[in-house]
Formats: sequence, structure tokens, C-alpha cells
Amino acid sequence: MHKSDLSYQLERFGLVIVWLAFIALFGALRPDTFLTWSNFSTIFGSEAVLVIVTLGLMIPLTAGDFDLSIAQIVTLVSMTIAILDARMDLPLVLVLPLGLALGALIGLINGAITLYFRVHSLIVTLGVGTFLHGITLWIGNSQTISGVSPILMEWVIIQRVLGVPIAFYYAIGLAILIWYMLSYTAFGQQLLFTGRGREVGRLTGVAVDRVRLVAFVLSGILGAFAGILYTGTTGSANPSSGTFLLLPAFAAAFLGSTCIRPGRFNPWGSVIAVYFLVTGINGLSVLGFRTFVQDLFYGGALVLAVMISQLVSGRKDRGL
Amino acid sequence: MSQTVIPRLAIKGLTKTFGGVRALDSADLTLLPGEVHGLLGTNGSGKSTLIKVLSGFHAPDEGTLEIDGRPVALPMPLGRSEAHGLAFVHQNLGLLPEATVLENLIAGDHERLNPWRINWRAEAERARKLFAEHHLKLSPQQVVADLSPVQRAQLAIVRAADRVQEHRSHGVPGILVLDEPTPFLPQEDVRELFAMIRRLTARGVSIVFVSHDIDEVLEVTDRSTVLRDGKVIGTYETAATNRADLVEAIVGRAVAADRRVLALSPAAPIAEVRGLSGEILKDVALSVQPGEILGLTGLIGAGHDEVPMLIAGARAASAGELSLNGRTYDLNQMAPADSIAAGIALIPADRQTAGIAPDLSLTENAVLPLLRGSLAINHRRNRRTTADVMRKFSVKASSPDQPAAELSGGNQQKLVLGKWLQLEPRLVLLDEPTQGIDVGARQEIYDHLLALCAAGGAVICATSEFEQLEIIAHRVLVFDRGRIKAELKGADVTKAAIAKACYEVAEEHA
Repeated sequence: MHKSDLSYQLERFGLVIVWLAFIALFGALRPDTFLTWSNFSTIFGSEAVLVIVTLGLMIPLTAGDFDLSIAQIVTLVSMTIAILDARMDLPLVLVLPLGLALGALIGLINGAITLYFRVHSLIVTLGVGTFLHGITLWIGNSQTISGVSPILMEWVIIQRVLGVPIAFYYAIGLAILIWYMLSYTAFGQQLLFTGRGREVGRLTGVAVDRVRLVAFVLSGILGAFAGILYTGTTGSANPSSGTFLLLPAFAAAFLGSTCIRPGRFNPWGSVIAVYFLVTGINGLSVLGFRTFVQDLFYGGALVLAVMISQLVSGRKDRGL
Repeated sequence: MSQTVIPRLAIKGLTKTFGGVRALDSADLTLLPGEVHGLLGTNGSGKSTLIKVLSGFHAPDEGTLEIDGRPVALPMPLGRSEAHGLAFVHQNLGLLPEATVLENLIAGDHERLNPWRINWRAEAERARKLFAEHHLKLSPQQVVADLSPVQRAQLAIVRAADRVQEHRSHGVPGILVLDEPTPFLPQEDVRELFAMIRRLTARGVSIVFVSHDIDEVLEVTDRSTVLRDGKVIGTYETAATNRADLVEAIVGRAVAADRRVLALSPAAPIAEVRGLSGEILKDVALSVQPGEILGLTGLIGAGHDEVPMLIAGARAASAGELSLNGRTYDLNQMAPADSIAAGIALIPADRQTAGIAPDLSLTENAVLPLLRGSLAINHRRNRRTTADVMRKFSVKASSPDQPAAELSGGNQQKLVLGKWLQLEPRLVLLDEPTQGIDVGARQEIYDHLLALCAAGGAVICATSEFEQLEIIAHRVLVFDRGRIKAELKGADVTKAAIAKACYEVAEEHA
């Protein structure tokens, strides 16, 4: 952490440098469309959902678990609150806490199945996620539900600070909270040991099962929060919206673990990785590339990120 | 056996050095056709190094190997030994429990199987015939997890025998190396296994039988070779030797180690354990007094190494009670957090997975037990605390932020020791505390344990290194098959006496 040699600093900020290089490149090629504040404020605001999903995913990843259901938690919560608000006319003060509670409940179920039956979380959350998608289609009748209270939109996308939609600040606020939790609380260290030295943690008195359970619940709550923001961004709930979040979130989490605090899932790395990926896609589409660049970019970034992190840890091994 | 017989296996002048220590010192071994040859010696005598040279795991510094009179180049490439008619059965047997008997039997039999098409029906038929030949009641479709321990051992041996049967490439019977196949088997099952071994030798197979159990060696072998400190002490005709001679050869007239503990005046115990039972342990009672280092030892499968884990709550005991500082704990319900709160520290044997988290920094490793429920970790203070631990326990590292993986084994173990001793525990439990650690770090670890005792703490140390106990233990309990069978105190705690007690204990089964 306190190494000051140049190569380590380059490693820490490599992604930031590449990001700035991308901005310079696209800006030079399309200064009038790409390099505008409105383009950037749109990117910052609209991708707040992806940032929050990535932050949510990072918590179980730190504890050594996968939560593949998080994108479907986003969709289900988005659909549920849209139905409760637009169809049933329940007030937002009731609907939003219900949405968060639903996310927490799903996290609890993921954790309980993983821990009680000792099944790998990858399989459990893959199944639970697909199940949740089924519920979403069922309760929403496979349709987009619109007519959500404009107050929600007001407090997600319409209100702006320095020209950037307020949703962006929610994401940054959460990143600060999670950064603090991981860096300055005993729970953060317990998460880390649960993921990277589970037996050491257990023998040192860390209740590793409880830590893993809490990690699932937190990712459920963050997924639900992202679902609320998603509904607020568009004023409606779309039954397939979350499906396109999972891979980008994984790509960003792993790419994020190669910078700022290389070798660890970390919130600032994740935030930078999200905006790096989105900038790249936005820039390429401004240049006229079509939608397939999304898949190329996200898929490629995920594979590249795990390759880089393997190289980084491999270099450490050889250093022994 | 006449002089003109060509030995199946002839090892000459085998030498292997690990970091300056001679694990094998020009060792010779000759295996005759159709014989069972015992290989005896204490932990660290060189038995396993010799076996690992044969299997290709270690490259020897010097020495030659001949199989059936033909020289074989060393090091043996890994996996090539079967082609020389040499097969191994290790203590863990190498079976996949979830797979069937047949799947395990043919696993890895590349020489015979067509990799593109396995004829399961023909293979099952072949397996049935094989089991019938060896008088085994095994069915090819049984799942290995459902087999009894002796059946598993039989399957592993018959598989090894099958692999080198007719010594496929040379047309002569194979050579089997059985490495401690019996310690977890009941007596009657051992007999069954021996009957199988004799049937194999009747067919011309030669067997190297590695064991710590002198009675078993006397019962099943034709000749035996004893190793001590990497040297061959002698090879004996089993019929012409006896238990006392073998014990003497194994134990030797050990040079007294530098004993570092002072006499202890009797005092009330600080900790008492009653009725402790686990996977191997059966109803064990022991106690330790303030300032005492209690050693626990035994041969493989004795159960002494279970004691620290069970007292610290690292694994749940099936029964047992601990009294510490006037409080009583149920060891069936004890969790690591409870034992830490009670003032117990456990230094586990498996440093890489249970002692340190290699990816994490020295600071993170060292301060984890101090964090409790902190909501505002002070990194600067933690780094200072760690620097203190590093200074006090002379952990050599460039900075407290270095990943623990970058340290040597000795420095890692000193870090683990420091992490626990900074909590000022009343009872420290250790399991093989100096495994893979250099001599200098060993001495430092002993210093810290002795200092802890001088301050009124108590230590329970489970180890199979007798010399270590001679140096630091006030008292030693010798375990055998889950029970305490001997106690050595004060001046009686010598390497030789401990070894003798271990082997004499084993005799009581005869």
C-alpha cells in the first residue's frame, strides 16, 4: 500500500490512464458529439444503476462467493415497485422500503441455501436468478409497466447537481460507504479473510458463515436499490432490463480489481471500471459502430481483466 | 535364496540433502524376488524420502537403482515407475470415493485402455475375475464411499498389483511399495490384508512394506531394513530377529539433545480436560499446570494431533470437557471464538491455509484478532502494533504491508506465534509448530514458548518430532490408537525414551 515505486503506481492508475486516453482519442475524432458535457452527464447519470450493481456484486466476491442473481433482483424489484406504485397506487414511502426488503430477503435465501446445503453459490444464485426472472415475467405479465410516480423520476434522474443527474451521486455515496466498510471496519476485514483465508479467519474467531450470509443480504439490498433507480430512470419497469446488467457488472468488478488496490475487489476500481467500459462503448457508437461493440467490449474486458489479475498474482508467486 | 538370484530392486548409495540436512545418507536396499521387505524407522529417518525417490517425486543427489539387474536412470520421471513394474499404494490409498470400484480400478490405466472407447462390460468382467483371483468380495459397480476401510485398502492394493501384473513390459511379476497401509485398520482387518499380501508374493510379486508397527513387520515380512537419520542401520532376516533388536535399531543410542526446560514444582493445574473423544481419541483425560510445556506424541494414527484442534474448538469433539480458570467448557459446543475468549490460542499445523492468509498483508494477518467489532480501524496504529510484533518475534520482512506469502516459512510461523501471543493467552496449543522451519527459527520459537511459561502460561504441543520434545517438554504423553498409553516426566523425557515408549506401546496389540 505504501510502495511508492513508479511501476506500482502505474499499475494502480493504469486503468485511469487508459480511460483518459480513450476520452482523448474519441474527443479528437468526434469533438462535437463525444466531448460534450451533456454526453458525459448522460453517461454518468444513466450508468449509476450499473455502478451500484457492480458494488453489490463486489461484496460477495470479496467473501469468495458469486451472486449471479443480482441482475434479476434489479429487475424483480423494479417490476414489483412499478406494480405497487403504478397499479396499486401505494405511496412511495411504503413501496421503496418494501423493494429494499425484497432484495434483502432474496439475499437471505441465496445465503441460506448456499450455507445450509453447502452448495457452491455460483449454482445457487444462477438458479435463483432464473427463478426470479420467471417471477418477474409472471407478475408483470411479460410487459413493461409504466406510469410510475414522477416523484421517483424527479429524485433519480431529473434533479441535477452540476448538470449531472442525482442518481450518480447516490452511486458515489454508496461507493464511499462500501469503501469505508471494507477499509475501516472489522466487518470489512472479516469479509476479506472469509474470501482469502477462510480457515485462518474461522480459527481467529470470525463467524465465516454469518459473514457470507450478510454479504449475500447486502448484495440483495444493493441490487434492490439499483432496481429502484432503474425504475426511476425510465419511469417504468421492463421485464428484461436486468438481463443486460450481469456481464457488464462482472466485467467491471474484475477489471476494477486490477487497479487502485490491485489484487482486491475495491469500490473505486469498480466505479472507474464501469465508466471506462461505458466510455469505450459510447465512444465507439459515436464513431458509428453498431450494438455488437457492447458484447465485444464487455466480454473482452472480463476475460482481459481476469488474465491481468492472474498475471499480477503470478508475478507475486514468482517473487517468492 | 541363493547368491545367484538377481534382486528385483537394488538401491545403492542413495543420498538426498534438503537445505543442508541429509535426509538420506548413502542408503542401500535390496529386494529379492517374492519377498516382503519391511522398511522401518521413525519420523524423519528417511523412509519417505527413499519412497519418493523411487516414485520420481524427489531427484537424489547420488545413488544408483537397478531393477531386475538392469540399471534405471535416476531421477525417475514422474509416472514412469509403472513401466518399470513398480507400483505404489500410499496411506491415503489414492481412491476417488464418489466413483465406483470399476472406475477406480481402471483410472489411469493408459497402457491397456483404448482412450476412445472403454468397453465397460468387458472391463467389469475382467474386474470380477481379478477380484476372484485375489479372493476379494468386491463388486465392480459398488461406490467406493460405501466400502469398508479394509476393502478400500484391498482395492488400492489389487489395483497397484494389476497395473504391474506380469510386469507388462518385461513379463515378470511386479514390485509393490505399500506405504503405511494399515494404521487406521482394526486388527482383524490387518490379518485379512496380510493374507492378501502373502497370496501376492506366492505369485512372485515382491513387496516393500513401510510401517511403524513392529509387530506387523515381524508378522508379514521376510526381511526388514531399518533406517535412522537417513542411514541404513541394518537389514535383518525377520525369522532371526526380535522386537527388542528392531526397537534398538530404530531408536538407537541417541545423542542427548540440549534440554532447555527447568524442573517444575508441582502446582494445581491451570487447565484440565476430561472425557475427550474425537475421530480417533477415546475418552482422554489430561491436565497441564502453570509454567508447564506438555508434549503430546505418538505414531501415525495415534490421535495426539487431534487434541489441540478439539480443545481450541477448531473441530467439534464428540465429547469432552475443559476446565480453565475455574470455568468449564463443553468441547462438543466450543467454537474458536469461545476458546479465544477463554484465553486459548491455537497455532495450527497447516500454516498455508490455517495459519496465515498468504495474499493478505502482515498487518492484516497480525491484527485480525484485535479488531473485534471495530467501526473505525486505525491503520497507522495497526501497522505500529504489527511492527512491534515483528520486532519482538524477529519476523524478517521489509514492511508490515508486505503480503505474508513473501515471507519464509520460519518468518511466517513467527508471525503466527506473534499474532497469538500478543493476546497474552493462558493456554497455548500447538500442532507440529516447527514443520518445514529452519533451525534458527526453531530456536526462536522455543525461546518464546519458554518465556511464555516463565510468565505462568501453559503450553500443549502435539508433535511427532521427538527431539523437539526432549528440548522443550516438561512432560510427554504418548498416545496410541486414541488413548494415552505412557507418560514421561522430567529427566525421562529423552528422544530415545519417547521413541521407545511409542514402539513399546504398539507392542501391546500383539
